[in-house]
Amino acid sequence: MDLSGPPLIRSVRFRQEREADWKRLDELVTKTERTGVHSLSWAEAQSLAQLYQKASNSLSVAREISLDRGLLTYLEALVARAYLAVYAPQETLGGLFARFFTQGAPRAMRACWPHIQLGILCMFLGAALGYGLYFQDTAWYNTFMPPRLAGGRGPGASTEYLRNVIYDEHGWEGLGSFASFLFSHNTRIAIFVFGLGAFAALPAILLTAYNGTILGAFLALHVDRGLGWDVGGWLSIHGVTEISAICIAAGGGIRLGQAVLFPGQYTRRDALWIAGRDAVKLAIVAAIMLVAAAILEGFGRQLIQDMTARYVVGWGMGLLWLAWFVLGGRQRHTRL
Amino acid sequence: MKQETIIPPEGVPVQFNVAGIGARLGAQLIDVVLTFLLILAIVSGFAFAGLGGQWLSGFAALTFFFLRVPYYILAELMWNGATLGKRMLGLRVVSSNGRSLGVYGVVARNLMKEAEVFLPMALIFTISAEDTVSGQISGAWCLMALAVPVFNRRNQRLGDMIAGTYVIHRPEAVLLPDAAATAVEVAEGAFAFQTHQLEHYGAFELQTLEGILRKLKDASKSHRKAQEMEMLKIVEAIRKKIGYSDPVRHEDHEEFLAAFYAAQRRHLESRQLFGDKRADKFHKEKSDETAS
Repeated sequence: MDLSGPPLIRSVRFRQEREADWKRLDELVTKTERTGVHSLSWAEAQSLAQLYQKASNSLSVAREISLDRGLLTYLEALVARAYLAVYAPQETLGGLFARFFTQGAPRAMRACWPHIQLGILCMFLGAALGYGLYFQDTAWYNTFMPPRLAGGRGPGASTEYLRNVIYDEHGWEGLGSFASFLFSHNTRIAIFVFGLGAFAALPAILLTAYNGTILGAFLALHVDRGLGWDVGGWLSIHGVTEISAICIAAGGGIRLGQAVLFPGQYTRRDALWIAGRDAVKLAIVAAIMLVAAAILEGFGRQLIQDMTARYVVGWGMGLLWLAWFVLGGRQRHTRL
Repeated sequence: MKQETIIPPEGVPVQFNVAGIGARLGAQLIDVVLTFLLILAIVSGFAFAGLGGQWLSGFAALTFFFLRVPYYILAELMWNGATLGKRMLGLRVVSSNGRSLGVYGVVARNLMKEAEVFLPMALIFTISAEDTVSGQISGAWCLMALAVPVFNRRNQRLGDMIAGTYVIHRPEAVLLPDAAATAVEVAEGAFAFQTHQLEHYGAFELQTLEGILRKLKDASKSHRKAQEMEMLKIVEAIRKKIGYSDPVRHEDHEEFLAAFYAAQRRHLESRQLFGDKRADKFHKEKSDETAS
């Protein structure tokens, strides 16, 4: 032992030497928490990073040499707060949107192409089923179709009534009907189909197929009355976009379900995280398409009464979407 | 409270308290109310301007949709992973891999929020007795969405799992004065402890004593009496345990405790430096066990 009076304990000295730095870090972190990293000056931002590293170094030493609980809890909390301030999300919004549209979305679409195809297949099989069953027995129609969605169109309705609905010039309410279309059945289905995918994909597949049967039965009803071509136009103008959106949402859901069912070499949690990177982009694409479909349904369908024009607009939109997915975000291969 | 450790790139593990379901539900409710008020303000502004009817209700539905989703995403991106509701309740979203919370994480967890939180909320109001099948499906979905965060370690909802995030309580840092720093100068000279007297206690007892010393310093005059009784008991217990034969005067009790704390801490910390970590007063039995 030292004879020249009691020397300070090592951990006390440790603390006294560094306390000023911690206080300074505390101030900077408090400022960042209140007003964001962007409000720091260049020098402040630099010292925030340096002081954070020093403090986390101190913490790791203090855990070894100090038994001062007051100090340990303080440092733990300080380093945790500084970590949150230093590793805060730092993105500019403009770059975010541009990157999504030019690269992220089309690449995700191509990466998940098999899953989307599966979604389309479910929809198609469902539609075929609904179509076939209707011609077997028209009573099936009411089994599939929710009454709210049918709006009086069923096997009991007259052909004249069906034709009127297709070429209806009165029911236009602009924004109001746009909104109601957006929140209609299909948006809900798309959200469900995507979300349910995380629970092992089967619910997503079933729901997509069920939605297909509704479509099939609806088509069959009109074909039965000789209105096949007309209802095709009526549906095409927004349906090409909208039904593709549901299939894409289903593709995203199936991608998530695949991660849960077949995680491969990863844990399920990690597999879900990896799958999510593409699936979420698909969900956003589907959302954008649903908004576009609602615009087409709310405005376009009422403004364009000519059947051929409806086909042209509907499938033209479809081609544009396809072009985005197929052509967007490709990198030119640079040969050295 | 559940704790989770994050390892930042610096390699020093940082501990966080995982936010409970109640706190998160509260933050969500605050956010719902805030967005609702904002939309109400906008829509009623238009209503005063003389617009109405079908157009207005459509507009209301649209603002609801186009404000709600971006609100959560932008708020969490701009304000360090906290919406206003989370800020008020001191919560934050963190990324579970120790890196910074990315755009992907924020977008993913808030998109899933539509399916996981808002859809069940809407369904509760719209489930009707007429269509039983879809009612049952909706009910099952609500239950599943609620059950997921209850039954996992970090209270993650599905969106959190996909996004690789979870929600924590924002840590609060208060630097307490060093109990040993003052004690050394004041008192260590007055009471001398032999090394064998310091072999009895471990870190747990030391830190309990640290807490008692802090409490004594903060105590007001009125509580003094009760605390002197407590101090007497502690001093006697320590004297008996370590075999400290000199009598300690009544008014010196606090100084004695401070001096003992300083000496004990110096001893334990120097033992720790040599790889002899003593967790509590049973350290001797434990080391005997491992030796035999």
